[in-house]
Order: sequence, then structure tokens, then C-alpha cells
Amino acid sequence: MTNLEKYTNAFVEALNVKASEVEDLAYQSISEWDSVGHMALMATLEEVFDIMLDTEDVLAFSSFKKGKEILTKYNVKF
Amino acid sequence: MKVERTSIRMLSILGQRGAFGYALTEKAKENDRIIALTADLCTTSGLDRFKSAYPERVVNVGIAEQNMIGIAAGMSTLGYIPFATTFANFACLRACEQMRHFMGYMQENIKIVGFGGGFAMGMFGITHYAIEDIAAIRSISNIVILSPSDCLETAKATIAALQFKGPVYLRLTGVMNHPIVYKEDYEFRIGKAILLKEGRDIAIIATGGMVHQSLQAMKYLEEQGASCKVVNMHTIKPIDKEAICDSLDSKLIVTVEEHSIVGGLGSSVAEVLSELKVKPPHLAIGVSSEYKRAGSYEFMLEQYALTADRIAIKILDKYKEIL
Repeated sequence: MTNLEKYTNAFVEALNVKASEVEDLAYQSISEWDSVGHMALMATLEEVFDIMLDTEDVLAFSSFKKGKEILTKYNVKF
Repeated sequence: MKVERTSIRMLSILGQRGAFGYALTEKAKENDRIIALTADLCTTSGLDRFKSAYPERVVNVGIAEQNMIGIAAGMSTLGYIPFATTFANFACLRACEQMRHFMGYMQENIKIVGFGGGFAMGMFGITHYAIEDIAAIRSISNIVILSPSDCLETAKATIAALQFKGPVYLRLTGVMNHPIVYKEDYEFRIGKAILLKEGRDIAIIATGGMVHQSLQAMKYLEEQGASCKVVNMHTIKPIDKEAICDSLDSKLIVTVEEHSIVGGLGSSVAEVLSELKVKPPHLAIGVSSEYKRAGSYEFMLEQYALTADRIAIKILDKYKEIL
């Protein structure tokens, strides 16, 4: 599985959305991506990529696109 | 509640407030008697999802903490289970008299959830720190005081408070990305302390966020050759006397709390020890009786010597003194 697939699946699993819907997702753009959903997503990404996100990155993770940018800091290549 | 690695980490990132809000929302699905009250802090209280799911079960009283306790008492008499939430110092100091009357004296089934116990309010300053809250509430009869060590325990304490029929003060400490003490599921019972690590020489009894710091301190002390026991005293009242008495074989008993050294866990343990003829020396580590400069959470812990390394040094100094 590629990193992009793993990344997409994390959204599917944590936010209960379809893979086809993730590309344009942003924080609070759907009811599932609220503050609790956000932390569930962060925890899922940590588990999937075996990383530990800094608090500032958890707060800056505002969209599907922005998240990819943040994960590159943790050596996750897309 | 499903407890697995990802959910434990999710709660940890949320912090104790968010973990409380998550647990309350989960339980509200199956119990329509649960009501959340807030004194102008709904989002800050971790109640976002609760409010979205059950807007008719959230009451924002405005900046009126004393009134909030009165409203909660009225709801309790009608059979509701009110969780009244605000910063710990505003609940326990500003609304102390209302807590005494409605919770202590009348024993209404009210749950007070105090956020920002200790120094978690950081840059908000001294006015928002809660370092005397346990002392104030512990002196009032009939109120159970819970002080969870991490976010999984916060969720468990929330559920335990809900199931307990009577007044409860749930004190939450720390900030987001709270350290994890429990990596897997375990049993939480009000009034029953949890032995986290066995040891012969020093018994460390800690509560709230200081449990993690104490576990870290223990590692340093063991490197120095002192065998340490660590106990998580998640219930301050009623205190688990048996757990304290189980530590009488130790050469030193240490209490660690993010609260004034007057009136909190240390005082509670000292009261138990005072009834005994023979007991080891007791070192009470906590917030010294002075108001220092305000700052970030980490700065405050450092300033009051409540970080793992400073705790370890204090314990080691005392241990060497008594040997």
C-alpha cells in the first residue's frame, strides 16, 4: 500500500467518509471532522505511519492537503 | 467505551478536558438524564460534540458559577444528572458556598468538573490557577473528589462519577497531548488506589498529572539504587487508607500533587499516618505556599519544582537524610 493510500484510509477510518470524498476535506467542513474527530484522525495517522505528532502540527493540520505537507516533516513521502 | 491503542492516544491528544467531553457524549447516547452545564466555557470544556448532538441538554449560565451550582441542584432534585463544568478555581473557590450547601449538606447528585487544576491555565495567570481547590472541597463533608492521572482515566472517572449516586468533584489537570500512564484497559474503582509499580525503599503516592512525573522520577531514583513503589491515588476523598497502610514498610513515604502542600493529597495522607503509632517519615511535594510569577504550564511546573527531575532530587535528598 502506498503512503497516499494509507493516508486516505486514515481519513476513511477516523472520519467515516468515502475515499472519493477526502481530497477537498478541511477541518470542520463536515460534522465528523470536529475537535474529537480531529484527534481521532491524528491518533490514526500516528499509528499508521508510526510517528508522534507535535502539538503545533496537530493544531496546524487544517485540511487533507495541508496534512500531506505536514507529514513530509515526519519523512512521510507522497 | 472501546479501549485500544488508537483511542488511548486520541484521548491523550485531546487532553483531560476533551477526554471528559468525549466520555460524557458517549454516555449521553444511552442516558438521557445527563445534562451539561457550563459557565460560558462550552468549547473550552470539551463539550463541542455534546452540544452538537444534544443542544437541548446543554445549559450555558453565563459567567455565573454560583448560580450554575444552584441550577444543577434544582435539576438533580428532578432526577437529572447535571455535570456542571468550569475552571476548577471558579467552581471550588467562587462557588464554594453553593457546593457546601447543595452538595455537602443536601447531597444532591451533582457532578462538578473542574478544568485547569493546578497550573494548566498557564498564561491566564494566578487568577485562573487552581491550587487550593482540593483543600477547600476536601473540608466539606460528603463530596467525592476524583483526580485522574491521564486521559483514559479521565474517561473512566467521568463514567464512574456518572454511575455514583451522590456529589462528585472531578478535578482535571494538564494540557493537550497529556502523557499516557495507562497503555491498556484496567479497572477503575472510586476509592481504590492503583499500585503502578512495586518497590521496597520509597513509596511515592501521587495524583493527577503528577503520577506521570512520579513514574519518571522513579526511574531516576532506581538508577541511584533506591527501590521505589508508585501508587496512583486517583481518589482523594474518600482516601484509600489501605493503600497508605500497605506502604508502611517503606523507609520513606512521598506524596506528589499539583496543588498546595496545605490541604491536598499530602495532608490527607498525613491525616491517615497521624493515627498510627509507628510510621515512616513523610515528604509532601506540591505547590509551596507562595504565589510566584505566572507563565506557561511547563514554566510553572519548573518554577515550583514539579518536574520529574526536580521531584527525584527532592526525594533523593530526603532519602539520604533519613538513611
